[in-house]
Amino acid sequence: MSTSGSTENRGGGAAVTPAGEGFAAKALVVGGAGLLLTLLGLLTGDSPRVGLGALVGLTFWLSIGLGMWFLIMLFHLFDAGWGTVTRRPMEHATTMFPWIAGIFFILVIYSLLAGTDQGLWKWMNTENTVVIAGETATVEDDVLYHHKSAYLNNTFFILRSLLYFGIFIGVATVLRRASFSQDRDGDGAWTTVCRKWSAAGVILGALAATFVALDWIMTLEFHWFSTMFGVWFFSASMRAALAGTILLCLLLVHLGVFRGIFKQAHLYELGRLSLAFTVFWAYISFSQYFLIWNANIPEVTYWYVNREHEHWWWVGLALLFGHFFVPFLFLLFYQNKIRPGRMIFISAWILGFHLLDLYFNILPSKQAASGLPYYNFGIAFWDVAAFVGVGGICVWAFLNSYLGQKPIPVRDPRILESLHHHE
Amino acid sequence: MSDENTYGLMASFDTPGEVMHAAEKVRDEGFKHWDVITPFPVHGMNEAMGISRSRVPVFTLLGGAAGFFGGMLMIWYMNAYDYPIVVGGKPMFSPMYAFPVSYELTILLAAFGAIIGMFILNRLPMHYHPAMKHDAVDRASNDRFYIIIESSDPRFDEKTTTALMEKIGGSDVTRIED
Repeated sequence: MSTSGSTENRGGGAAVTPAGEGFAAKALVVGGAGLLLTLLGLLTGDSPRVGLGALVGLTFWLSIGLGMWFLIMLFHLFDAGWGTVTRRPMEHATTMFPWIAGIFFILVIYSLLAGTDQGLWKWMNTENTVVIAGETATVEDDVLYHHKSAYLNNTFFILRSLLYFGIFIGVATVLRRASFSQDRDGDGAWTTVCRKWSAAGVILGALAATFVALDWIMTLEFHWFSTMFGVWFFSASMRAALAGTILLCLLLVHLGVFRGIFKQAHLYELGRLSLAFTVFWAYISFSQYFLIWNANIPEVTYWYVNREHEHWWWVGLALLFGHFFVPFLFLLFYQNKIRPGRMIFISAWILGFHLLDLYFNILPSKQAASGLPYYNFGIAFWDVAAFVGVGGICVWAFLNSYLGQKPIPVRDPRILESLHHHE
Repeated sequence: MSDENTYGLMASFDTPGEVMHAAEKVRDEGFKHWDVITPFPVHGMNEAMGISRSRVPVFTLLGGAAGFFGGMLMIWYMNAYDYPIVVGGKPMFSPMYAFPVSYELTILLAAFGAIIGMFILNRLPMHYHPAMKHDAVDRASNDRFYIIIESSDPRFDEKTTTALMEKIGGSDVTRIED
């Protein structure tokens, strides 16, 4: 595969503009400031609350990146024609993974070093408090913990998390570099390279994303278990990624980059996928609730009982109506899927409720002595700091990649098919 | 209007481009009862013919709604009304356990709705069409494109419509008998 063109041109990209680089720098400053504020909150504020809020912010941005990474692999695997023009922005978004890893391990290190009951994952410190059958005890005295400790211990947890990030970063980087290389030399062999890596990546990614959900979110309450939990995270990620892709592509149309490239037919296809994953998310979320409701066994029902406590009852209902019924009924109608304004509305709506869904799963996990949730629903200042912090870093990483590359994979064998895609 | 036996007029075209531009002109003349026959789908033909979006989704939605509410009603009737029986300590009726069945019925009847709606709107099954009397129309499945304007259209007039079809580039304008 020969290289052509000058190396200074960073892949022959024409997108580098002073305005773009200025914005990237601003995003980095804002992101860094947000993260420093979050760290300050962890050290001086209500640490468990700040930590959980930071995990919400982190998983929000990560879920968008993961979903986009899955979409890229699906496009490669199915040799999809229509999606080629939408693939490039998603490839840039996957540059977030190394930075997300860095932020995540700061949270892990904090949790390992934090005092009793101050960290995120209570099983990390054997002196932490757990509630067993309405009585408080330490993790040390927790029989359930000892049964799970072969899996749930600090060393294995860190090694596993390193492995997950290794898979995310490794496969995403190979796919991204192959795609950028094809821009330069136009070699069709890159497409085959991507397809082979996607075949492996989609299986490794499914496992890694599942275990991310189990390890980072489900083990916040390690007494509880649900086989649907990994799929819940996957379905939520796909919805977030599709909403993010729609917003990103329409923003690029607005900026003129995608004008005449991203057309009604592409918006319609993304809208249809959005509808499909809305149903899939509802199916998974309902199934988890239904199985637990039907079996009616206290060791798992408490998770939902806690989420019917005080504010959480209303949050749950808001998810049912706001995260399912509204987007479902809205996306059923053809006109809503082809009008940019309406798609911007529903995509922003879905992202908002996705954030609420993460709050619902993460924040009530800290239990009071009664076993009920310690925290009511609320958006703390530190949550905003973490959300903006991680988001700023993701935007900066995206722009760093975006500014040096062509806006679409210009020499992909499927690019003409995608440009001429028709409903 | 012409005599009772006439189903309509058929004109033939050589390329998809020609038939599409001709279709735009027929549409602009205000004809309603007419059709274009092509060997393969031609993108943009719907707009050229002035055809609005299919109404099949309405049938799908009605089917889906019937399935969902029918399923709920059926399970309520059987388990809570006709023969109340306690299963697993659960309430006589709860939308929770009725949901999986209602959900499946939603999908099943939505699919039926879509298929039946498609048949109704396309007026299928249609085993016979007057155009089949002409051997030339066989080429509509190979390399020729046809426009048929039906005599049932209020604007149809054998003379002026023939002239129109020739004007828009159609050749071999033929009268089709019913």
